[in-house]
Amino acid sequence: MNSRLIFLPLAGIAIAGGPAYATVYLSVEQAQAVLFPGATVQPQPRTLTEEQVKAIEHASGVHVLTKQLKVWRVSAGGWFIVDEVVGKHEYIPFALALDDKGAVKGVEILEYREAYGGQIRDPEWQKQFLGKDASAKLQLGKSIRNISGATLSCKHITDGVERLLVTYELVLKQSGR
Amino acid sequence: MNLCSNNPAVERAQPWLGTLVSIRVEGLPSAEAHRAIAGAFAEIAAIHRLMSFHDPASDVSRLNREAALHAIAVHPWTYSVLAEAQQFSRASDGCFDVSVAAELVSWGMLPTPQGAHEPLRGTWRDIELFSGNRVAFRRPLWIDLGGIAKGFAADRAVERLRECGARYAVVNAGGDMRVEGENPERIRLATPSQSDLAPVLELANGSVAGSSGTVQQKRRGKPACGPHIDGSRRAPAPIDRFVCVVAERCVVADALTKVAMARGTESTDLLRRFSASAYLKDPGKQWLRIGAMETAAA
Repeated sequence: MNSRLIFLPLAGIAIAGGPAYATVYLSVEQAQAVLFPGATVQPQPRTLTEEQVKAIEHASGVHVLTKQLKVWRVSAGGWFIVDEVVGKHEYIPFALALDDKGAVKGVEILEYREAYGGQIRDPEWQKQFLGKDASAKLQLGKSIRNISGATLSCKHITDGVERLLVTYELVLKQSGR
Repeated sequence: MNLCSNNPAVERAQPWLGTLVSIRVEGLPSAEAHRAIAGAFAEIAAIHRLMSFHDPASDVSRLNREAALHAIAVHPWTYSVLAEAQQFSRASDGCFDVSVAAELVSWGMLPTPQGAHEPLRGTWRDIELFSGNRVAFRRPLWIDLGGIAKGFAADRAVERLRECGARYAVVNAGGDMRVEGENPERIRLATPSQSDLAPVLELANGSVAGSSGTVQQKRRGKPACGPHIDGSRRAPAPIDRFVCVVAERCVVADALTKVAMARGTESTDLLRRFSASAYLKDPGKQWLRIGAMETAAA
């Protein structure tokens, strides 16, 4: 075990740790391969009606952000859905895999571009991002992908999954067979 | 930091343990890295199901409902986390205490457990561990493993990744992090900076758990309070302090962060006893490093 505390200029760190920076975990295709290995998927996008949106919001208690449902039917049975939730400030895209009975098979976060924890409220912290672009990344030799000290809640993601489970019950279940 | 340019880093994130858990593996062919990560997430999912305060079917919920009535057999992992928790409680004279769930519920930070008797001023001393992974409470008690399970999960995940051949891996369970490998990982410490320099921890072959006493929830008619509690005083830890604890195992870093948060420099001896150290920042003061001083990477 070895550790040391160093101090680095904020300009470089801002890009790595702040909203100007996104950690990309998986592409949609990679998430499909991870969640349904070896299966083929068929896109079956839907547009929710006004009534369906109301019914989903009523049953899940979660606000529906968009009527467009990005959904794929899986050859081996089951569904693959890509959706997003609003984190503290940014959209967090995620993929949900449902088995042929509509039970959760897996959740993968696709991208994370949230500012971490409380420092977003700190005006000094926010100031760092003004006028920054991707080229500023070069100021720091290697990017900083992890932050410690501000536990992130995943409640918005579990709420999003809850909403999609209701969406499955009300919209996909009858139509998918 | 790619150890092998032919094998790009593979990183995935899933929601577990009430937070976002990310796992990064470097140096393995992509298919192997994904298999290793899937295995590690499966362990974390199992820990989530066993130790969730919210899930009525978890070991923790079963204990909160029934352990005051009779001894309950739990999963060996739950037992092992409780055994470690008891060790930290003993060593810190109750500053770390998993039975603070009663306070967290009364402050609105955890939901009231269903079907569990109201706790009666119990503490960690009322938890009894028996052979055969059986646990009993001497009086009604509500325990929450939220202050230690993430560290335990990061340790288990790294063990699993290692078994799958990963030589460099980082597991981050909501800021409780374990780095496997000689190459130092740079970790931003989430404390607001007054200067134009930000604190960054370089860590190799070890774990870190950080805590800022950021006010998580406004409590109507009650004083502002951070997410941490001094178990022996049953009072919130200071809300404007930043602490991160470095230790070999993440379960140690996770648990001792609560003590260092509540006790500050008074936790120096305790940290040393567990070969851990802490970086501490109080408002208006210099950064301090307390506890065990590490030698070069072992």
